[in-house]
Amino acid sequence: MQTNFEHFALGSMLGKPDMPPKDNGSLCFGAPWQRQAFGIALALSKQGVFEWDDFRSEMISSIAAWEATHDKSDPSWDYYEIWLAVLERMLHRSGVVDQSTDIVA
Amino acid sequence: MSPQDHHHDHDRSELSETELRVRALETILTEKGYVESGALDAIIQAYETKIGPHNGARVVAKAWTDPAFKKALLEDGTKAVGTLGHVSRVGDHLVVVENTSARHNMVVCTLCSCYPWELLGLPPVWYKSSPYRSRAVKDPRGVLADFGVTLPKDTEIRVWDSTAETRFLVLPMRPAGTEGFSEQQLAELVTRDSMIGTGFPKAPGAAS
Repeated sequence: MQTNFEHFALGSMLGKPDMPPKDNGSLCFGAPWQRQAFGIALALSKQGVFEWDDFRSEMISSIAAWEATHDKSDPSWDYYEIWLAVLERMLHRSGVVDQSTDIVA
Repeated sequence: MSPQDHHHDHDRSELSETELRVRALETILTEKGYVESGALDAIIQAYETKIGPHNGARVVAKAWTDPAFKKALLEDGTKAVGTLGHVSRVGDHLVVVENTSARHNMVVCTLCSCYPWELLGLPPVWYKSSPYRSRAVKDPRGVLADFGVTLPKDTEIRVWDSTAETRFLVLPMRPAGTEGFSEQQLAELVTRDSMIGTGFPKAPGAAS
C-alpha cells in the first residue's frame, strides 16, 4: 500500500505541538469539513505542492501565536480552524490559489 | 455530505463560513487538477483504517484463536505481524509480551514516547505524560489502580521500557466466556489500553 507518505507525515507530528486531535488512537474529526481539510493538505503535500515540514512549521508557529493571545481553556480553540488557515496560506504562497481571483466564499 | 456538491448558492444558508471556505478550496483545487476526490478519500481512509488500535486488536484476536500464530508472534513479533499483511509497516523491532495469571505486562517509554502506533494508533496523552512515565516504573501497581486495574497480590507486574529500537505490545489474556467467538468478535473486545497493559479487554456482551 502507498502509505509511506501518510506514515511519515503523521509520524513526524507524534508528540509535537501540532499533533492533531485524536480519540482512542484514531484521528478524530469534529465535522466533515475538518476531515476534508485534513485530506486536502496531505494530498497536496504528497504531490509536492508544498513541503510537509513547511506546513508543520507554519502550524507550530500559528498554534504558538494562538496560545500567546488566548487562554488555554478558551473554548474557541479549534485545531482545524488553524489547519485551514495554514492550508490557505500555503496555497497562496505556492501560487496554486490566487487570492484575488480564486477565493469565492 | 458529498464533497462534490457544487450548488454553493443553494447551500449557502445552511453552511458555515468555514465549511464554505473548505468547499471553495476543494472546488478550485479539483478544477485545477490538484485534487481528485477519489485520491482524497483514499488518503483519509488510509488514516482511518490503516492506523489505529484495530490493527493491534486483529493481531491479538488471531493469537487467541491460532496457536501457531501465537507461538510465532511471541518468538518474533515483527515477522509474525508482517505475515498478516494488513499493517503497512511495523517500523522497529516489535516484541510481544504475554499476560498470564502469574504475570501482567505493562509498557512505558521513560525516555520519550516510543509507541507501536501502527498497531495501536496514536498514543494517548497520558502515555507521554511525565507522571505516567516516572511512576509506571516505580509504582506500577499504583498506576494500574489509577486506571481501575487491580490484580491479585501474587501476580507479578513486569514493566517494559520502550526504546527507539524496540516496541512492545501486550498480548492480554482472552476474556472468559468467549468460547466459540470468531476472530472478528474477539477483536472487538480488545482495547488499546489492554495492549499497553493499562487495561483489560472488554467482557463479552459489555457495551463499547
